[in-house]
Amino acid sequence: MDCASRTATWSGSTASTSRYAARRFSGSSGRTNGAGKTTTIEILEGYRPRNAGDVSVLGVDPAHPNRAWRNRIGLVLQECELSPHYTVRETLSMFSRYFESPTDVEAVVALVGLVDKAGDRVAQLSGGQKRRLDVGLGLVGDPELLFLDEPTTGLDPSARREMWEMMEGLRDAGKTILLTTHYMDEAEHLADRIIILRQGEIVAQGTSGELRDSLGDVTHIAFRVRTDARLDLLGMEADISAHLDGVLVRIASKSVQADLGRVLHWADGQALELADLEVVRPTLDDVFVELAEAPPEEVRGQ
Amino acid sequence: MSDVSLAVAQTRYSVKGYLRDPSALVFTIIMPVVLLLLFNAIFHGNTLFDGIHVKSAAYYTASIIAYTIMLNGFGSLVIRIATDREAGQLKRYRGTPMPSWVYLFAEIGRSVVTIVVTSGVLLAVGALFYGVTVSGHMVVGLVVYVVVGTACFAALGLALARACPTTDSASAVGPFSTVVLAFLSGVFIPVAIMPAWLLDIGKVFPLEHLARGLQLAFLVPGSTGLTGTNLAVLVAWGAVGLLVAIRTFRWEPLAAGAC
Repeated sequence: MDCASRTATWSGSTASTSRYAARRFSGSSGRTNGAGKTTTIEILEGYRPRNAGDVSVLGVDPAHPNRAWRNRIGLVLQECELSPHYTVRETLSMFSRYFESPTDVEAVVALVGLVDKAGDRVAQLSGGQKRRLDVGLGLVGDPELLFLDEPTTGLDPSARREMWEMMEGLRDAGKTILLTTHYMDEAEHLADRIIILRQGEIVAQGTSGELRDSLGDVTHIAFRVRTDARLDLLGMEADISAHLDGVLVRIASKSVQADLGRVLHWADGQALELADLEVVRPTLDDVFVELAEAPPEEVRGQ
Repeated sequence: MSDVSLAVAQTRYSVKGYLRDPSALVFTIIMPVVLLLLFNAIFHGNTLFDGIHVKSAAYYTASIIAYTIMLNGFGSLVIRIATDREAGQLKRYRGTPMPSWVYLFAEIGRSVVTIVVTSGVLLAVGALFYGVTVSGHMVVGLVVYVVVGTACFAALGLALARACPTTDSASAVGPFSTVVLAFLSGVFIPVAIMPAWLLDIGKVFPLEHLARGLQLAFLVPGSTGLTGTNLAVLVAWGAVGLLVAIRTFRWEPLAAGAC
């Protein structure tokens, strides 16, 4: 999938991105509504026209979607209800007929974890089960590329966890998936490659590790020690704060392995016990906040 | 699977959903039958039609069949399309390789099924309980008017769907316009006691011509009721509806009020 300097204007919002190529499992993430996720994904899905640039999805321009191309992609849309009168199996069977070489319906039922519910009407399903049926409808045509637009938004934590397990299963089965999400932990957990959009522009992309690295050196080593510990002998710059039972020490580290070795060596020499010792990497949420709060001209270079 | 067999399968699927929807059954089959019973109870005996005395029961059997064609072909079709569109179903269909016409074929096909079944029930009630005589000419007229009338109102339904962004607005506009036209077209009230100026307004619209055609077939011995004027008006309205539908039909949900 390639997008070359694409610009789209739709209902007053402008989206433009630089070239990117999707790997096996990409997550596209925007913290706020209006980040351009849905506009972008709907251009790629063949729903929306763009006003400039070149877009190619599976070698086809989605502005001119044809039937052969539709056979190769699967869509899971946001906010799309299903008729309550059909069973899970009936719904999937009907949709499977739309595609040239569909997957076996029972296999899809199993893949989305609805075996026990296959004979139940959609009206009887929970929100999470309906959302998994949505995913099943995206999968039933055996697509080469699956679009998942915010599949866990509005789900309770356990339904979200089940959805994650299902998506991990799809990833392990080798499906190429473009996932959009508000949740950074979701992108980090599921995506091989993450693209962060802000006001329709890519402000960062890469693996979760690369995104964290792009923040620079902010990994911390943290621990608690007795108040009489000889911190001066540590020989490292540290944030020290008084704590109920000791002193809390936070050390910003450029080289975690070496610095951790020095800390442990110092502690052994002093016969100190380090309580709550931890190495804290920045979370993707931190990356996100940083990108969301920085003015656009500062983040554009990343 | 060929597209034709896909269209048939989609129609069966739609009819299956209909049979599982009690409110749709009440609205599309039970209500016309109850109306027939009520009107026969209120206006029993004879009524004047084109200056001759005819049986009220035959008059109402023909009229309520016309009403059923508009109610199912137009009113409930508008509601279904607005509902499917508001729910994002049409958008979802649009994202599959299914040709768009398959969906429209199936929904109109579902209307045809309900119209044929309801018309059959109405005819049976008329014949069995009210002594309406069924003749060959009459059946020919009935079949042609069911086909032409359904096509006309389905096209108008597809056209009106654009103006009804939500299920709520479609549920108001579709049945309401059907009832208003039924009063203007001598469907609910016999033409003999209707003010002429109201009937003149009714003559502009297709329901009057469908009802009159069926009344001729049911009331005039040896007549199929197939007149050039009635058929021409139905075809003309249908053609206008089709042109508007082709130009304005929308698959994605419409913002409320975005008519």
